[in-house]
Amino acid sequence: MAETTYKKPVPRIDEETRGYWEACRRHELVLQRCGKCRTLRYYPRAVCPECLSDEVRWERMRGRGTVYTFTVTYQNQAPGFRDELPYVLAYVTLDEGPQMLTNVVGCKPDEVEIGMPVEVTFEDVSDEIAIPRFKPVAS
Amino acid sequence: MNSIRDKVAVIGVGCTKFGDLYDSTYEDQVCDAAFQAYADAKIDPSEIDAAYIGTYLPHSQGGKAGISLADPLRMYDRPVTRVENFCATGTDAFRNACLAIASGQHDIVLVVGSEKLKDRPGRGIPRIGHQILAKGNTAPGLFALAANRYMHEYGVGRSTLAKVAVKNHWNGARNKLSHLRMEVTEEQVLNAPMIAWPFGLFDCCPTTDGGAAAIVCRADIAKRFRDDYALVKGAALAVATGRPYFDPTFDYVGFRSTQAAAKKAYEQAGIQASDVDLAEVHDCFTWTEITNIEDLGFAEKGQGWKMVEEGRTRVDGDMPINPSGGLKSFGHPIGASGVRMIYECVQQLRGNCGERQVKDPEIALAHNVGGPGAVSCVVVLGRQDS
Ligand SMILES: [Zn+2]
Repeated sequence: MAETTYKKPVPRIDEETRGYWEACRRHELVLQRCGKCRTLRYYPRAVCPECLSDEVRWERMRGRGTVYTFTVTYQNQAPGFRDELPYVLAYVTLDEGPQMLTNVVGCKPDEVEIGMPVEVTFEDVSDEIAIPRFKPVAS
Repeated sequence: MNSIRDKVAVIGVGCTKFGDLYDSTYEDQVCDAAFQAYADAKIDPSEIDAAYIGTYLPHSQGGKAGISLADPLRMYDRPVTRVENFCATGTDAFRNACLAIASGQHDIVLVVGSEKLKDRPGRGIPRIGHQILAKGNTAPGLFALAANRYMHEYGVGRSTLAKVAVKNHWNGARNKLSHLRMEVTEEQVLNAPMIAWPFGLFDCCPTTDGGAAAIVCRADIAKRFRDDYALVKGAALAVATGRPYFDPTFDYVGFRSTQAAAKKAYEQAGIQASDVDLAEVHDCFTWTEITNIEDLGFAEKGQGWKMVEEGRTRVDGDMPINPSGGLKSFGHPIGASGVRMIYECVQQLRGNCGERQVKDPEIALAHNVGGPGAVSCVVVLGRQDS
C-alpha cells in the first residue's frame, strides 16, 4: 500500500494501543472506557487515570465532534509534514466528551473555524495502520 | 514551613551578548558569563562552594553534566550539578542554588546558564513524540493552539499580539546585549510571514546562543561583597501535565503551572502580585506574554490583553513587562534565558538600565514557562532595603 510513499512516522502497535489501531484499520474510531469507574479516556492507556483499574472496554465513537481550537502550521521541516504545508493542527472535542489532538483535512486551512462540526476520516498509510483525522461535516 | 525569604542574596551577575554566536563555544559562554559575575561580585573564584549549570539541549561542545561548568572554570572538588527542566531550566537552576544556600549547606553558589542553539544540526527541534498524539505539532503550533482559543474566547485580534512584539523590540533595541536589536512597527509584525496561525515571524522569539550567570550567597554575608545586593524573596517551581489529556479541565487559555508557582512565590515573599514593580516573563510567543500577565496575577484571566492595548506594560507604564526586550528581542538560549532574567532584574533594582530603566523599583519578578504549560518557575527579587 502507501507505505513506501508515506514519509511521516508510522505508528508502531503495542499492547496498549492494539485495540485502537485495529479499529482504525476498519475505519472505526474507538476509545477506552474504564470497566470499573466508567471513565471514557483518550489516548489509549493500560490503566484508568481516574481509578487505576486495568479493566478496559473498547467503545466505538460516533466519530463526530467540534473544533475546540486549531492552528495552521506554515513552517515544519520534518519529513512528510513539510510536503503538506500549510496544514491544520487542531483539538477536536468528540460528542462523547474526550478531546483529541488531530488534523483537520478535506477543506482549505482558512475555512477551519473554532466551533466547526467535523467528522472522522481515515488515511490508510500501511497494511496495518490507518490514521484518523477529521474533516468538515458535509452539510 | 520556613520561607526562603531574605535568606539568600544576589551579589554578582553576568551576561554575554545574545545572538548568533558562531565565533564562541559553549564553554566560552560559560566563562564569559561567570567571569563577569566574579568581577561584579568582586569575588575570587576559589570562594565559590558549589555551582549549578542550566542547559536544555546539550551541544557537542558541552552541556550534559556538571563537568560542562567544572572544566571551563576549573571548579574541581566541589559539587557541580546540571539542571534541565524544559524552558524553566535557567530559573530552576537559580532556584536550586538558592535552596543550597538556604539549607545552610553552602555559603556562596554560582549559577550559570549556557545554550548553543545555532551551529548544530536539527534546528527547529523535530517533534516525533507520542505514537498517537504526534500530529505535526511544532513548538509555535502548540502555543498557537492556546493563543487561538484565547483570542476566540476574549475577542482579541492579531494586532494586540503585535503590540507585545513592538513594545519588546523597543526595549530590546535599547539593550546592548540583545539579539534582535531593532525596533519593529505593528504593520511589520502583522505582515511578516506566517509560522503557525495566529503567529507570524515577529510573534516568535528567535533561536539564540548565549550565557548568563549569577552568584548567590547567605544574606548575612552579602555586605562583604557589595551594599546594593538583591535579596531573594521567593523562588517556586510548579509542574503540571505535559499532556493536557491527563487534565480534562485544561481549557487552553492559561497555564496552571504559572498560576501555582506564582501563588507559592508570593506566599514566600509575603507580597501580592500588585507589589511587583517589574517582571521579566517568558514571552516565547507574543500571546504567551499576555497569558503570563494573567497567570502571574497582574490582571484577571481574559483582561491581560487590555494592559497591552493601554500601554501599561511599557517601561513607563504602571506594570512594566520585559524591560530587557524579553525573549522576543533579547533572544532565547533556553537554559540561559532564566538566568538572564535574573541578570536584568538585578540591574533594574540597582538602577543601571538607562533609557529602559523602570522608575525606582523595589520588587522584580522573573518567570519561565515551558512545555507548553508543563513547568513554570517564578523568582521574586527585592532591593536590599525592601
Ligand atoms: Zn476507572
